[in-house]
Amino acid sequence: MIGILDYGVGNIDAFLKIYHSLNMAAIPVRSPSDFDSIDKIILPGVGSFDSAMEKLNNSGLRDTLDEFVINRDLPLLGVCIGMHMLGRSSEEGSMGGLSYISGHTEKMSFIDSNITPLLPHMGWNNIITPRQDPIWKDVNLEQGFYFLHSYCFRVEDSEAIIGLSDYGSRFPCAVKSGEVFGFQFHPEKSLTNGIQLLRNFAEFS
Amino acid sequence: MIEYNICVRCVMDTSDKAIVFDTDGVCDHCRVFDRDIFPVWNNGSGHEQSLKKLVSKIKKAGQGKDFDCILGMSGGIDSSYLLYLVKEELGLRPLVFHVDAGWNSQIAVNNIERLVDGLGVDLYTEVINWEDMKNLQRAYFKSGVPHIDTPQDHSFFATMYKFAADNNVKDIVTGGNYSTECIRNPKEWMYYQSDSIQLRDILKKHGEKPLKSYPITNILWHKIFLPYIKGVNLHRLLDLMPYDKEHATQFLVDNYGYERYPQKHFESRFTRFYESYWLPVKFGYDTRRVQYSSLILTGQMTRDDAIHKLSQPGYDPDTIHHDFEYVASKLDWTVEELMACFNSPNKTYNDYANQESFYNTGAKVLRMFGKELGGKR
Amino acid sequence: MLRPRITPCLLIRNGGLVKTQQFSNDKYVGDPINAVKIFNEKAVDELIIIDIDATRLGSDPNYALIQRLANEARMPICYGGGIKTSAQAEKIIKMGVEKVALSSALFVNPELISELAKALGSQSVVGVLDVKKSLFKGYSIFIENGVKKIPGTLSEWVTTFQDFGIGEILINSIDRDGMQAGYDLELVKGITGFLNVPSTFLGGAGSLSDIKKLIAQRGLGGCAAGSLFVFKGKYRAVLINYPKFAEKIDLIELGLAEYNSNVRK
Repeated sequence: MIGILDYGVGNIDAFLKIYHSLNMAAIPVRSPSDFDSIDKIILPGVGSFDSAMEKLNNSGLRDTLDEFVINRDLPLLGVCIGMHMLGRSSEEGSMGGLSYISGHTEKMSFIDSNITPLLPHMGWNNIITPRQDPIWKDVNLEQGFYFLHSYCFRVEDSEAIIGLSDYGSRFPCAVKSGEVFGFQFHPEKSLTNGIQLLRNFAEFS
Repeated sequence: MIEYNICVRCVMDTSDKAIVFDTDGVCDHCRVFDRDIFPVWNNGSGHEQSLKKLVSKIKKAGQGKDFDCILGMSGGIDSSYLLYLVKEELGLRPLVFHVDAGWNSQIAVNNIERLVDGLGVDLYTEVINWEDMKNLQRAYFKSGVPHIDTPQDHSFFATMYKFAADNNVKDIVTGGNYSTECIRNPKEWMYYQSDSIQLRDILKKHGEKPLKSYPITNILWHKIFLPYIKGVNLHRLLDLMPYDKEHATQFLVDNYGYERYPQKHFESRFTRFYESYWLPVKFGYDTRRVQYSSLILTGQMTRDDAIHKLSQPGYDPDTIHHDFEYVASKLDWTVEELMACFNSPNKTYNDYANQESFYNTGAKVLRMFGKELGGKR
Repeated sequence: MLRPRITPCLLIRNGGLVKTQQFSNDKYVGDPINAVKIFNEKAVDELIIIDIDATRLGSDPNYALIQRLANEARMPICYGGGIKTSAQAEKIIKMGVEKVALSSALFVNPELISELAKALGSQSVVGVLDVKKSLFKGYSIFIENGVKKIPGTLSEWVTTFQDFGIGEILINSIDRDGMQAGYDLELVKGITGFLNVPSTFLGGAGSLSDIKKLIAQRGLGGCAAGSLFVFKGKYRAVLINYPKFAEKIDLIELGLAEYNSNVRK
């Protein structure tokens, strides 16, 4: 059973609807006891880093989430701001992140390109995979996913990068460390590719 | 309680309460086909001269106009193949007429586009006001009658005929055909979609507000006034030639990128839900039985194959709840509200005002003039 | 690399879809939910949905309808119409809409942009400018569905919106609306130099070739169209259409190739 963390941020319904259409069990997680019935969790996130971290810290769910991920070592998928929250901090704000993956979020930069793309990075972009991972099964990497962000997560361990995208310069758009995944794009709004990816996450073991 | 029985030749059975079997175990649908339809239709053969004459007449009447006939198109195989024939083989200049009742599936929309582009013809669509359609469909669901696809069907007739009358078009071609429809749905199942008295009564008793712009036709207007006074004619051209549905489908797939539907009537999401689930499960009326029986009689399906297919439900039990949710939400209902209609007592067309007697008289008269063959009884 | 976006734009009036010509002459197009469902299956890049009466009538956005549209869509939605406050915008974003578009309210109070950017993130805030060619030079901006003209030039307002932290600018040509005679490329050329956030142009697309020309003119960004994806042929028959993925990629590649070769000159 998949849980979608409902802490007042992000498109919970979109994830729930997708799993419902796949006939896969998924529930919103609104209280600590909801964690008891799930074996994987999705951390959605939109808006800004500080406002999302603040809402998470005040939701009453932070401790149980830490326990779920750190102690129980169960799978978590952070989406967009949810991915930024996996690191220790973000240039966008001043609050501390979850520190589930070593890394830090910063504004997208284009020092190694000769054009300066406009921010936010908005639209469909293709994915480059430095290594095979079952999470990409049946996903059309050329078609890619929908991105909507101005900051990106710079993970410290390059082995954790399972997907890159190119906007002026390459940046990690998908990371995986242990059971923790992070995607910069929005699988819940990326048509069939997104649905497939969410299915793959549900089937990941 | 009628004892269960099924025709030994086709697969119509006692779910059609008016069915009659002869001493050989063959049903009256088959006998009507043998007696009234086949001798005239003859598998579509031998009509070359009539077809040629008719086409000439249509071309002449249409000279100097932007189009010489209207072709009603749903995106289904019959009307799609007809469009190809009419444009490419018969050399007519059709205007494709499509009615959007708010339930078009993506496959249908795509197929219409492919054919219209591939054949280089013009398209006209009439969009039914969705609030009206929703109002009527809700009323029909609440009424408990089986023929709840009437709001869609009625609007198809009404708009196309109105367009013809308004634009002085004399010739309408439709994909209706004996090859796949020689057996018609029993009257108790689908009744007569053009009966406007019934539609108005159901609306009055179960509708929530008056209609804004929904087009209402009536039997007098389109079976008598239009053909006999305005000279608007309906032509079932597929009856004037051999028509094999599988061959037609494959041809369109190969040449026009046509996409197959999983089953008949899947051009409309509503019709799919209605015919594969609502009608068989709530009423025990499986329209596949009628469709397969037609194909058996015209040699396009074996009885064994039909029996085998009918032994499985026409819907996917794993995903039907999604369709239920979609239909409910589109009609602005909760699933519970739609379920309440599903669980309400079954009614028939006789529970509401109707013009049935008129249809019966009219049918007799038309048959006398050789104008109608077979049909609902 | 990021691709240009090809975005259908749907207009809502009284809960139903309509299409206009030069902001009037509206023609009923049908049920919005079914349209979104079909666009899902056609795999469109994103959708813009505008309620053309809400602001003019001073009414609240139709939240029930927005919720249903958001529930149906499997691609991002930008919603506009009747949004005047941060609270309204937040409510809509929570329903599962990715971006909110504002027009009239931003000219009255551009600071609202910073407020929204702070609450939602600037990437979710779109500023809409409906423009008409002025008599002598340049373009004038109109609000309340093309009724009221406001002072200030296009470039001045674009710069102001950007200064306050707008995430995207949508420029809509009233003159070209529904005419299917091509985008106003002069308009595009004139404003591109002032844009430092992503932009979308709307108004005039009559064929996929027009979209290619827009891409060739300005490279990345949104190419929005209403009539093109909703009508077919000389009778303006309602039939939802959108290019298939391969066709879309070809179109984009040709457009970008032309853009890149122009940039090098």
